[in-house]
Amino acid sequence: MAKHVPGKKGPYIMLYALSTCPWCQKTKRLLDEMGLEYYYEDVDLLSGDARRDVMADVERWNPNRSFPTLVVDDSRCIIGFQENELRNLLKV
Amino acid sequence: MSAEPAVSQDEIDRLYARLKKEAEASGYFLNPDVDFTKSLVKGLLVNEDRYGYWACPCRLADGIKSADLDIICPCDYRDADLGQHSTCY
Repeated sequence: MAKHVPGKKGPYIMLYALSTCPWCQKTKRLLDEMGLEYYYEDVDLLSGDARRDVMADVERWNPNRSFPTLVVDDSRCIIGFQENELRNLLKV
Repeated sequence: MSAEPAVSQDEIDRLYARLKKEAEASGYFLNPDVDFTKSLVKGLLVNEDRYGYWACPCRLADGIKSADLDIICPCDYRDADLGQHSTCY
């Protein structure tokens, strides 16, 4: 079950992250700073079927399976910490 | 996978100093953003505690060393990433 961070309603944001990854932490901080509602999963903290299922979702958007992978409205994906792209795409 | 194991600031600082020295002796430089680099070092220590080796904090480890050899720091992708991004991934 993805974690929910409450905030301003806008596009549906799903962030696939690793708890150990500073680029993922920067992405979370940016979303927090923008005050947006989002969901995230720290994939390294999952195991077994839960990890397999989530990685199947990640791979659908990002065949390289790298982190962070952020999916907006189940239609657009941003790979890596791309601050300007995130700010532009997620303006609310 | 349980929550992140505790890593002390002292452990982070000691490993950071060691890696800085070793990197510079090999002609590499750590990211000058020390806070960022120390958060990477923390990730290495967390993964060492979890898996017994320094799996890259930014790549998903299997937890089986033979399957993770390519992502153990310094990983197989370091030089390619340096060429492409001027920093490791």
